[in-house]
Order: sequence, then C-alpha cells, then structure tokens
Amino acid sequence: MDPILIYGLNALVYIGIFAIVALSLNAEYGYTGLASFGKVAYFMIGAYSFALLVQAGVPWPLAMLLSAGIASLFGLLVSLPAIRLREDYLAIVTLTFGEILRIFIKAEDWLANGVWGMNIAPSFAAGNFSLGLLLNLALVAGILAACFFFMQLLANSPFGRIMRALREDEIAADAIGKNRIKYKAQVFMIGSAMAGLGGALFANFVGYISPESFLPIITFTIWMMVILGGPGSNIGVIVGAAAVQLFERGTIILKDYVDLPVDPTNLQNILFGLIIIVILMYRPSGLFKESKINTLGTRRAMRWLNPSSK
Amino acid sequence: MNWAQILFNSAVTGSLYLISAVALTLVYGLAKFPNFAHAEIMSLGGFIGFWVTEQLGAPLPVAFAAAFLVAGIVGYLSYRGIFKPLTDRGASLIHLMVASMALGFILRHTIGEIWGFSPLTLSIVWPAYDIGPLRVTLNWIILIITAVAVGIGLHFMLTRTRIGKAIRATASNPRLALSSGINTTRVLVITWFVSAGLAGVAGLFRGVETRLSPYLGWDILLPTFAVAMLGGIGSFYGAMAAALIIGLAENVGVVLLAEAGLSTEYRMAIPFIILIAVLIFRPQGLAKAFKGN
Repeated sequence: MDPILIYGLNALVYIGIFAIVALSLNAEYGYTGLASFGKVAYFMIGAYSFALLVQAGVPWPLAMLLSAGIASLFGLLVSLPAIRLREDYLAIVTLTFGEILRIFIKAEDWLANGVWGMNIAPSFAAGNFSLGLLLNLALVAGILAACFFFMQLLANSPFGRIMRALREDEIAADAIGKNRIKYKAQVFMIGSAMAGLGGALFANFVGYISPESFLPIITFTIWMMVILGGPGSNIGVIVGAAAVQLFERGTIILKDYVDLPVDPTNLQNILFGLIIIVILMYRPSGLFKESKINTLGTRRAMRWLNPSSK
Repeated sequence: MNWAQILFNSAVTGSLYLISAVALTLVYGLAKFPNFAHAEIMSLGGFIGFWVTEQLGAPLPVAFAAAFLVAGIVGYLSYRGIFKPLTDRGASLIHLMVASMALGFILRHTIGEIWGFSPLTLSIVWPAYDIGPLRVTLNWIILIITAVAVGIGLHFMLTRTRIGKAIRATASNPRLALSSGINTTRVLVITWFVSAGLAGVAGLFRGVETRLSPYLGWDILLPTFAVAMLGGIGSFYGAMAAALIIGLAENVGVVLLAEAGLSTEYRMAIPFIILIAVLIFRPQGLAKAFKGN
C-alpha cells in the first residue's frame, strides 16, 4: 500500500479509538456532569486486561469484551466511594487513581512486565500488514458505530433524561426520587466500560503497551476532544476527537516540511492549551451544541401542542 | 535503622510540601477551585532559579527572590487573563479545572521549549554536617527554616494585617465581603500573586534537592493536594500539620515497604493513598477552613 494511504488509515484507527473514549467521557461529563479526570486509568485497565487475557490464551473478541467488563467493574469500585464527593474532589480522586495504577503496574513486574511493557500478539492477519490495518480499521469503525448508536439511544431514553437532570440539579433529581448515587455509579460503569473497550482496541492495534503509554496527558487530550466538539453532543465529540487527532498529527508532519523555530510537540501542546482556554471563554458549548432531547414522548407532546405540524 | 535521620528527612519532605500546599490552599480556599497549573508554576520557579544561578551567575538568594517574583507575576497574569474572565462569564467549577490544566500545558511546554525536557542539575554543592546521629545538609536546614518562616509569616498576615483579614472575609463570603467595602478583586490578585510566588519557591527548593525537569511540579502536585486536603482546603494551620504527617508517612512508609519486601516505587503512592482515604472518610480535612476560625 501507498505509505500516505497507510498513514491516513492509521490516523483513522486512532481517531476511532479516541472517539470511543471521548464518547465515554461525554456520557460522564457531557450528559451527567461528572468530572472524571481519570479517563486514562480505565483506558489503561482495558489495554492491560486485553494484553493479559490474550497472553493467557483467551480469544481476542472475548478478551475485548472481558476488558470492557473489567474496566467497568473498576469504574464501579472507584465510583462507590468517590461519587458522593464534590466535583473538584472527584476530579482529584480520579486523577490520583490513574497515577496509582501506573505506579502499581511499574512496581509489580510479575504482573505485566513493569516498565518494560508488554507485547501483544496480533489478533488477525498475522504477517500481512496492510490487511491487518484494514481489519483493525473495520473493527474500530464497527465498535465506534455501535458505541455511537448506543450513546444516542441512551441519551434519548428516560435514563438519558435522568443523566441530564443530575447534571442540571442533582438535588432536585434526588428530590423527585431518582437515587443519584445509583445513577451516577451506573453512568461511571458505562463510561469506564467504553473507555476500557477503547483501551483494548488500542492495545490490539499498537501491539505494545507500557506504563509510559498511559500518561495523564491522555486524559487531558480526551477532555479536549469533548470540550472542543461540544459536551452533550455525540456527533460533536467524534468530530472533536478527529480534529484533535488530526491537529496532533498535523503538527508532527509539519516539521518535515517547515523549518519551525520551535519544537512541534511543544508548539502543539501550547496551542492545545490556548485553544481550550479560548473555547471555554468564547464558546463553552463547543462546536456542536447539545441536541434537543428527541423521544417518542416529546414528539407526541409537540404534535399535541401544535397539531398543524406533522 | 536510624530513626532520628528518618524523622529529620520527614521534616524536610514535609517542609517542601508545606510551602507548596499553603500556596495551593490559599487560592483553593479563595477562588474555590483546584488550580492544576500550580504544578507548572512550581516547575517555572525551579527553572527561573536555574537560569539566575547557572546562566546569570547570581547568588542563590537572588535566585529565590527571582523565582518568587516571576512565578508570582505568572500567577497574577493567569488570574487576570484566564481565571477572572472565566469566572466573570460564569464558568463552572469543571471549566475552571480544565482551564487550569490547559494553562499547565502551556507553561510546561513553554518551559520545555526554553530549557528542554532533559533533566538539569544545579551545580551547587551543599556543606553537610554530622549532628549526633544525623547527617544534615545546609539546604535542608534552609528549607525547614523557610517553611517555618512561611507558616509564621502567613499566620501573621492572615490574622494581623488588613489584607489578611480581607482574604479571610472574602474566602468565607465573597458577596458579603464585597458589600462591606472589601475590594475582592484586589484580594484575589494579591492571593494569586503570593500563592504562585510561594509555589515558585517550593519548586526551586525541589530543584535544588533533586533535578529540574518540566515534570518537576507535576511530580509533587498530588502530594501537595494530599497535604492541602488532609489539612482542609483553605486552612493553612491544617496544612502545616498535614505536611508533617504526609512527610512522615512517606519516609517511614518507604522503610516499612522495604522491610515488607515491596517495591520502593510505592513511596510515591503513599501520599496518593492518604489523599484518597482523606477524601473518602474526612473530606473536610483535619481542620475547619480558616473562614471558620
């Protein structure tokens, strides 16, 4: 295959993987208002679970599902004590959890080879690089589509309305009999499962993971995708994921063509920071505004209120 | 096991955390959000100190003054340029946190662009003394004295001066403070300046003790949060006690870890675990916030 095509397809796979994780943050932050600053932790749990399961001989599709399940359980585990906390405390706890996890993996060599990292046997089309890339792309695209439709359905379901109610006024949601701790924990489980799935896809695609693959910067990048794309908009965060990934790659390619006076990685991160601040200041709703709730109930209600329209 | 040395080392670790945590807790108590860019302001202080001593050849006290001033100015600018406009536009707590992370990124990579990402070392060699069973170096003594001075200085500032009283009033009820004639914007400006300046000093101390890298501040940010949380946000009396506790836990913990046959990598995890435990069991911290005193 043409190297440029390979590069493009490669980029698409990454966009897909990060879009899945961004969708999961959209469930937590965009719809429910939970400040989960530990996205990288669940991404990491998914990736390591997948690597360890595949190493233990579990077939990869099953390993992928199990990884999502394991990440989800960790989401529940962390959420149970943390979910009652105020937004800022929750942010600090989740951030800290990610760092503890990284220290744990580094320290316990027996589990996942510590700082040396793990190699993951390719799941399919071993030996044929191009075919492997295409299959990975198809897999990621398929799972992304599934996650997107799941999120759309979820957001427009009664559960989605509870999520928004928790975001807008959790005390009121509690007062009308919606157990906020229970619902938040469920959202956290869904979000963690999706992030874990993203991590499993990542491990499957790159074929090598180490504690250095899971720095806190990943959490920030995912937040950037959601803030840029538009919290509460599933299409928005996918566009955000694509934009952030392409920008990241663009600045790296730039150095081959333009003689920059600054290191492109530094430039890129400085620009990321500036963009986030500008968006928060001038367009906090992101590129895509949150869509209206679209359910059978609202459609009926609209028809009843305005019989002339279809 | 030389327990006297372990206790002394705990005081050194605690002193470093104390300076950075009182700085963090001042802004946290007043602006009501955790400023994640605190980490990079610490790194900045370290590198300014490096620049002044190694590249300009000035003596170390000048470096500390420069670290305080430059970090303070960056703190002032970040409040004026980012956090005040955001607050005025009604930004949520989460938005403020994300913005502080973004600012941290800008600072970290600007530092990386200027000084690079490979670790740098200050070339100062400190005299060491043997006092009984203890081996101490001059920089440790200076660090402990500075931490005590910062603690006492802030105590007098908050309880005896007009601006200190204004800070406490603004922390406990910004609207009431404003309506009773306190210029809350000025209070916040001064708090941001002092807080960032102290962060710069803490960063330089850390740089003097170990090495400088753009990740310097990030490495001590979460322990700093642990101290601030254990002490109770906004309470620097609590922070002082908490700094010693966390310093002790880290230094004693590392000995216990070695005895238990566990990796000493977990040394870094000790403050994190305390942090999580505090948030779960006693989120209000050890003390009430200073507004309540």
